[in-house]
Amino acid sequence: MNRAAGRQAFQALESGLASLAARHPAPALSTAATLGWFRNLLSRRWPAPEQIRTLFPHLTHSAAARVAWSIGGLEARNRVLAACILSAGLGPVRPLVRTPPDFAALRPPLLLGTFHVGAVHALGPALERLPGPVLALRHGLLYSPDPPVEIVTTEGDDQQRAAAFQRALTRLGSGGFVVLAVDVVPGSGLQAPCLGRTLELTRGPFALARLAKVPLVPLVARWRRGGVDVELGEPISGEEESVLAAATARWLERYLLDSPADLGLGLLRRLLGFEPTAGR
Amino acid sequence: MSAAPSIDETVRELLRSRAPLARDRAALPDELRLGAGGLGLDSIALVELLLDCEQRFGIPRPVELLEGEPLTVGRLVAHVRAAAGA
Repeated sequence: MNRAAGRQAFQALESGLASLAARHPAPALSTAATLGWFRNLLSRRWPAPEQIRTLFPHLTHSAAARVAWSIGGLEARNRVLAACILSAGLGPVRPLVRTPPDFAALRPPLLLGTFHVGAVHALGPALERLPGPVLALRHGLLYSPDPPVEIVTTEGDDQQRAAAFQRALTRLGSGGFVVLAVDVVPGSGLQAPCLGRTLELTRGPFALARLAKVPLVPLVARWRRGGVDVELGEPISGEEESVLAAATARWLERYLLDSPADLGLGLLRRLLGFEPTAGR
Repeated sequence: MSAAPSIDETVRELLRSRAPLARDRAALPDELRLGAGGLGLDSIALVELLLDCEQRFGIPRPVELLEGEPLTVGRLVAHVRAAAGA
């Protein structure tokens, strides 16, 4: 089978799994992970173990290969999950998502920063469990949320993004939660060291934290035991955006050193796009 | 005794302090855009400018001002005038 035919076969299988996921999410998503794992193993292309070792030099070649296969699985599972949410909404996903006991004890105003790691699309049901009104800023809409969750897209030009930013500031000012990705840069960015590379983080969350005088709490979701475990990081506070960005990048680095297979391909690509920083 | 600066002058003064591209311009005409194609303020700077106006004039910063038509010097001045009841 040539490469193009193989790709088409995998895509057809993923498409079938996305349909199945609406009715049987747990087995469909687990199968998608296995499929993606094999796809990476067979293609030996992206990510390659050598690329993984560039960021995680302490891993042996075989451990890096397992991480690469797992990232293939993560991506396939996330693609199927996103397709399932697009077609069927959050309904099938809600039972899979487990939030920690301290989740309901969070007190707004609070900024929750997400990253393109782990089961990022599975955070939707978690936002519904936050004890207060929630405004999520994201690039594009996967589903229509129910109140008190509201989603505003960050697509568009600077003025449209300013409108989203203004809504977020108002939501924090009125004692709500704001959720947004930290590691995507639709506007201006801040650079911080991460895994021996330079990572550009979006400036928006740090400017929001500074202007609203609220901490930023890292929020991630991991695929675990056939479902999704949502985890919170320690609050990150500060008055200077560059200091907040550096602390956030350090948090992400610790997370990824602990769970390298949770690294999303987009984030991996962006980390590899920068030359190594000195001293590592 | 000198007269207090008008809303027009004060908004333009705030613009000059917030937008580097405004500092070297002799005039800031009403039709000049604050974002791309004009003074080049990014999303965060646009909101910070509205915060400046809120603080200076004690007026709200409605999101509607950032939706729809491009925000210009004239639109911002008109908003401040209307909100301040001048």
